[in-house]
Amino acid sequence: MTDPIRDSASGQSPRDAEIDLMLRQSMTAPIPGLSPNFHQALQRKLRQSSHAPNKFSRIMLAGYATTSVATSVLVMRSQCLGWATIAAATLAPMALLALTRRLRSPQSGFAIR
Amino acid sequence: MNTDSQLVALAQRGDQDAFAELVRRHSDRVFRLALSILGRGFTAEAEDVAQEVFLKVHHALASFRGEAEFGSWIYRITFNQAVNLKSRARYQRPHLDDTALAHAVTPEPGPHSIAETAQRDQFLAECILTLPEVYQSALRLYYWLGASISEVATLLEVPENTAKSYLHRARQLLASMMKQKGYSHD
Repeated sequence: MTDPIRDSASGQSPRDAEIDLMLRQSMTAPIPGLSPNFHQALQRKLRQSSHAPNKFSRIMLAGYATTSVATSVLVMRSQCLGWATIAAATLAPMALLALTRRLRSPQSGFAIR
Repeated sequence: MNTDSQLVALAQRGDQDAFAELVRRHSDRVFRLALSILGRGFTAEAEDVAQEVFLKVHHALASFRGEAEFGSWIYRITFNQAVNLKSRARYQRPHLDDTALAHAVTPEPGPHSIAETAQRDQFLAECILTLPEVYQSALRLYYWLGASISEVATLLEVPENTAKSYLHRARQLLASMMKQKGYSHD
């Protein structure tokens, strides 16, 4: 930032100089700055947005998961497996997925010092 | 000290500290550019624009190929974002804050002088709002936010001579509008 007067173009016409002065007088006002919590708010929003898939992805993912679980259950039942085995075989990958997401989550945060 | 390009490359590989440094470097300029487009009285909105810009940049960082400077890219996003916001109906009204001017700089004006100056300044502010966006932005950056010609040029992504000509042209247009209204001495 510099003093605008220093940058003022030399050789202005009187009309240009007059409006220049008018602008300088009328635009003297405190310059606002970013609020102190700007970076924290941005950090929060970034964390939210990096975790939240968009609506379309969410619907697609839910549809895929439901179909694949239902198909797996039907196939396993047709092989005469017990419900306990089916539940374990279905829930184990889900638990693994949740664990992976939990382990990855600290990397998506960022901090501005 | 890393350059912007180095920080971008690190951020693209998932280094969140590098992204944080980019935000720290550019947040003030992004905010001031947004403010120069939206005008006074829209500080909170300018801050929202700055946040939106960094969210967009964070999402689009992987696709940034570095053909342009990171600064130019981010300022362009800011300009478009702020102009889009401004084009919405509620930002089109002349905002009185632009005319709420600091009269303390006038040496001991009498009541008549104060009223006259306020009236003149209000008209000037209304005239500014009729100018093209780049002229308005250049004027506010230069006269209000204290940016140098080279900073105006950087933020508006134009050569310095073009920034000078924006200011010159804006002054000419304002002068003729003010003259029509009888605010000029010539």
